[in-house]
Amino acid sequence: MFKKILIANRGEIALRVIRACRDMDIRSVAIYSEADRNSMHVMLADEAYPVGPAPSAESYLNINKIIEVCKTSGAEAVHPGYGFLSESAEFAKALKKAGIIFIGPTVENIEAMGDKLAARELMKNAGVPTVPGSPGAITSVEEAEKISEEIGFPVIIKASAGGGGKGIRVAKEKSELASLFRACQSEGKNYFGDDRVFIERFIQNPKHIEVQVFGDSQGHVCHLFERECSIQRRHQKLIEESPSISVPDDVRKKMGEVAVTAAQSINYLGAGTIEFIFDNKTKEFFFMEMNTRLQVEHPVTEFVTGIDLVQEQIMVASGSPLSFAQEDIQQSGHAIELRICAEDPMTFVPSPGKIRRCRLPQGPFVRVDNYAYPGYEVPIYYDPMISKLIVWGKDRPECIRRLQRALAEFMLTGIKSNIVLHRNILKHKKFLSGTYTTQFVDKQLGAANKDDFFMFVDNDLFLITAAIEAYKESKSRDVSKLNLASRWKDKSRMESVRT
Amino acid sequence: MFFEAVSNKKKYEVHVSETRDSFQVSLRAEGEDWKQYNVSKDDYQYMDQTVSFLFNNSSYLLDVNSMGTEYTVFTRGSHRTIKIYNEETLLHESLKRGGGFGTGENLSSGMPGKIVNVLVKPGQEVKAGEPLLIMEAMKMENEMRADDDVKIKSVHVKQGDSVEAGALLITFQT
Repeated sequence: MFKKILIANRGEIALRVIRACRDMDIRSVAIYSEADRNSMHVMLADEAYPVGPAPSAESYLNINKIIEVCKTSGAEAVHPGYGFLSESAEFAKALKKAGIIFIGPTVENIEAMGDKLAARELMKNAGVPTVPGSPGAITSVEEAEKISEEIGFPVIIKASAGGGGKGIRVAKEKSELASLFRACQSEGKNYFGDDRVFIERFIQNPKHIEVQVFGDSQGHVCHLFERECSIQRRHQKLIEESPSISVPDDVRKKMGEVAVTAAQSINYLGAGTIEFIFDNKTKEFFFMEMNTRLQVEHPVTEFVTGIDLVQEQIMVASGSPLSFAQEDIQQSGHAIELRICAEDPMTFVPSPGKIRRCRLPQGPFVRVDNYAYPGYEVPIYYDPMISKLIVWGKDRPECIRRLQRALAEFMLTGIKSNIVLHRNILKHKKFLSGTYTTQFVDKQLGAANKDDFFMFVDNDLFLITAAIEAYKESKSRDVSKLNLASRWKDKSRMESVRT
Repeated sequence: MFFEAVSNKKKYEVHVSETRDSFQVSLRAEGEDWKQYNVSKDDYQYMDQTVSFLFNNSSYLLDVNSMGTEYTVFTRGSHRTIKIYNEETLLHESLKRGGGFGTGENLSSGMPGKIVNVLVKPGQEVKAGEPLLIMEAMKMENEMRADDDVKIKSVHVKQGDSVEAGALLITFQT
């Protein structure tokens, strides 16, 4: 087993990996950018090394620098977390060359799944169902229009190298196709240096269901059941749960088998996720993509299966076989994760800044993976997600009640957060019934106005509290005596209040 | 002490007075009657750096962040920014705007970023909720929308500009 692991990441996922290391008696090495000296992962790791300026490209994505730190610190392996270099074949290659183990899939695995177009072809050939779409990359608007009409509107346009909600657009009709197509191309080019775009049928009643898979170096592949991640905003996940209320048992079984086939077809190593788009009407599912890394939402799987996915990743990377066989894995109870982001709950515009108070939920079956603390300034350079609240219950209703309770305990002030959005979702009948689709936040909640949204608080309370604080502040500065004329005004106003 | 306040686009007159053991807060929304609240100091206390407010026996934990005339109140996962003007700040406001307050705003950027696209022109009338410009910040393209029905007075940025936090983006006609 490794003695020391470097974590090439920041935020809550860096903490998650540090914890797994501690559990396994492995020393942890953190890296940090200039904007992150006061970030939690630096405090919790055994060792920490600076790797460059705040922008990710110059620090968390700086492959040479990270390898240099591995050598200086004597780390034998690197855990990439999610995002940043977690799906970079270049990084995996560079580590291999330097004799350092990448805790993740093989270079070939990453390359096979990294190109979304090639991955879909590969999966189609392995017998995995895929959504009808363009056979290859599309380069012109004319071609896009022709293909879209063949497969039928609405269509979804995706940058080949896209991900994490970037480089994705939906065209409802032919008239909007041209501009969206160009936007997608330019985002693909700007973010990923690749302007290839493809088009496929946009499923109208879609749910996002994914299956966790795990492979080891001895060739075993298991699945750890599904997660439903249909509650999204701007094509990024907000809430994830396991099991999915919409998947019938026979389909669940089939999905697991298909996911294992898919992973086996590329000799997959380590933790990965096969994402399916699920038609909630027909209960059909189609392969979307494979994420060759640990997912943000892995804790829900940990809760329902009792398996520590990060420890398993580390063991598999060190050459050990999987600690379980398929028949050992049971889905027990229900788990839900909420992503808590520093953003406006209605417009989703990021809200970086200084956190004033931060009090986390506690109590039975509540887990918080969080890196915020009072006085911490959420930097503008990175992802706005600062916490994940994960709760387990014996069934879905109990899990949701417990989640509502935990959320009511969550105090996070100084910056805007989406806590109140989650409170609204958790009491919405579509969420409770499980009939929500990936368009839930845009369609069902979009109509709510601000007053309804903040219904958890008496409207006057905001004003009374602000008034008392303003009064105290003014009193301490004694402004009422600044202007003599206002004393007369004061007097007459006093009278009007009394009547 | 008298204040004028704007909360949720609504104007209020506010009066606060203090006795040994309570605050009297009177509120009057524009066109409505005065509402009186007697807040005993026992019900409004500072605990663990937050305000513990027992409001009609409902227990709220609140945090108030004040910056100039803006008071942002956080509680129960919700927040609201309220503008409060005392005699002094009211005078400032009226000098600045030539009468009236609380209406007519600038759109400024909350964070550093890059302007991806400007969707409006000076003189254009925009309905509440319609997009004004697209800005890239924190790895995402963010659409900035109009809060209210507004008319554009001037646009201070163009496509491709990099802007600092607090930079003036658009001025609305008041």
